[in-house]
Amino acid sequence: MKSRKLNRSVAGNGLLFALMAVCGVFMVLPLVMIVNNALKPLDEIFQYPPRVFVRYPTLENFADLFVLLAGSWVPFSRYILNTVIITGGGVLGHVLLASLAAYPLARMDFPGKRLLFSLVVLSLMFSWTVTQIPNYLIVSALGINNTYLALILPACAYGMGLYLMKQFMEQLPTSLMESARLDGAGEFRIFWSVIMPNVKPAWLTLAIFQFQSLWGNTGYLFMRDEQLKPLQFAMQQIAAGGAQRAGASAAVALIIAAIPITFFLCAQSRILETMTTSGMKD
Amino acid sequence: MTASVNRRITGRAPLRKRRLSLSARRSAVGLAFVSPFVVGFIAFYLRGLLLTVEFSLSDLSLRPNGGYDLAFVGLKHYIYAFREHATFKQILTSSIGDMALDVPLILFFSLFMAILLNQRFRGRTLARAIFFLPVLLNAPAIADALELSRAMMLGGTSPASAAVTQAAGSGGVNVSYYVGMLADLGMPRAALDYIVGAVERINGIITSSGVQLVIFLAALQSISPALYEVARIEGATAYESFWKITFPMVSPLIVTNMVYTLVDSFVSSDAINLSFDTIFGASKQYGLGSAFSLVSMAALCGILMISSGVVSRRAFYQN
Repeated sequence: MKSRKLNRSVAGNGLLFALMAVCGVFMVLPLVMIVNNALKPLDEIFQYPPRVFVRYPTLENFADLFVLLAGSWVPFSRYILNTVIITGGGVLGHVLLASLAAYPLARMDFPGKRLLFSLVVLSLMFSWTVTQIPNYLIVSALGINNTYLALILPACAYGMGLYLMKQFMEQLPTSLMESARLDGAGEFRIFWSVIMPNVKPAWLTLAIFQFQSLWGNTGYLFMRDEQLKPLQFAMQQIAAGGAQRAGASAAVALIIAAIPITFFLCAQSRILETMTTSGMKD
Repeated sequence: MTASVNRRITGRAPLRKRRLSLSARRSAVGLAFVSPFVVGFIAFYLRGLLLTVEFSLSDLSLRPNGGYDLAFVGLKHYIYAFREHATFKQILTSSIGDMALDVPLILFFSLFMAILLNQRFRGRTLARAIFFLPVLLNAPAIADALELSRAMMLGGTSPASAAVTQAAGSGGVNVSYYVGMLADLGMPRAALDYIVGAVERINGIITSSGVQLVIFLAALQSISPALYEVARIEGATAYESFWKITFPMVSPLIVTNMVYTLVDSFVSSDAINLSFDTIFGASKQYGLGSAFSLVSMAALCGILMISSGVVSRRAFYQN
């Protein structure tokens, strides 16, 4: 089936493309710098006037980085494991808890519903950079200071996810749930096999946001043991090392940037897949 | 609130047992779904909020061997913030002014870009990633590495180059170099300042609309393609189907994004920076800083209530 383009002129398309390209160049510049710096030999990094593009690409910086990492007190794989546990636990927990809580908020009535939602929205307005001291007090009062839970549990209960999921769930037509109920589905069944597949773009988006924020978390506030610190912390130590670490630091930036970008690309292409298959017919 | 509902339910229970037990069961299911989140929310966020309120009403002094003491002082810090503090009121109003200017622009830009990026073209996932890059690259290690490499490029980490590094824009472009060149070419200074300011603002708007863009994308992808199909069969133009389908369907998410943008731009605003500096700066005035941040939050809350009230009345909801 061939669909005809509606009222699209070539000139209009060209203009839109040019606009996107201009904005895109702004966005992509830091990444271009990161990639090129990582491949530059040391003399090119120190070159003045600076050049954006690398002239003689080399993997020297990565070799330097691995030498540095091999000499670290805690094995490097430990940092990776920590980050995987914290990010994985936080993303899964957040998406699950926020969606579970958003369903009744969007679709059911229960006492205290409005109050709860207002409190969640209120909490969003609070700047968490200012409340580091209360945060620390709470975490240590719960006795989970210096454990993975200190980072995972607050991430699970973050209000933004609940807010987003509720807004998306309100968009679904009631008939969808009613037909499931008539077919004898329980509330959990409705939530799991009707609601969740239909708001897949929403929770994948949520997963992207939470992945990004946990991946970038150095855990400096709560993690005292070197064995528990995330990858980001180790990398930051290297990246902030000053002139003698310039090469390794450039390599660090590329590695740290590459993983969330990959995650984003995967999640975004999954979102596209769903919308072609999940069509609601009503 | 809960208590009164319970009383109502139990009070009527002998008369209409079946129906009420059904609605009670419904709300029990609802509560069961919500409770895991609520427990975490109360533990980590609500208590943080309450502690901050408590701090703002007290003078906090640290004990030398760890721990702290609170002395209740009532509204002293709030009165000081409004009556005596030199800059708080000005900073707060200018933060709000900046927000009023930036938020509509960010919303407009991100919706526009989301619509462009939602179309089918080769490499659209990559294009989306590019517009989300400012968020993706927002990691401390990357910031440090970029800062270091910029310092390297501008002539080493010696203190003399610090001023030059500062002048270089956040996008990795040496703005001061171009500005200096244009000034040499005889461009009036005032015009230059205006252009630099505008470019910086545009850059700020583009870089801070990543999250909103992705939320709008998810909203656009949740619109059933059948709606567009029908519109096309009925002979609607692309312009009409935008205003009759796309816009109403994403309108609730415009409210969502507005809330997010307001919060996001406020959290990094000068008013919040001021309270951060008051707390963690040289003077360590924890009570005063908490009061600053609570006043800012109240202001933001008011703005949110007014603006989302105005916008959400125009938004379209399914049911």
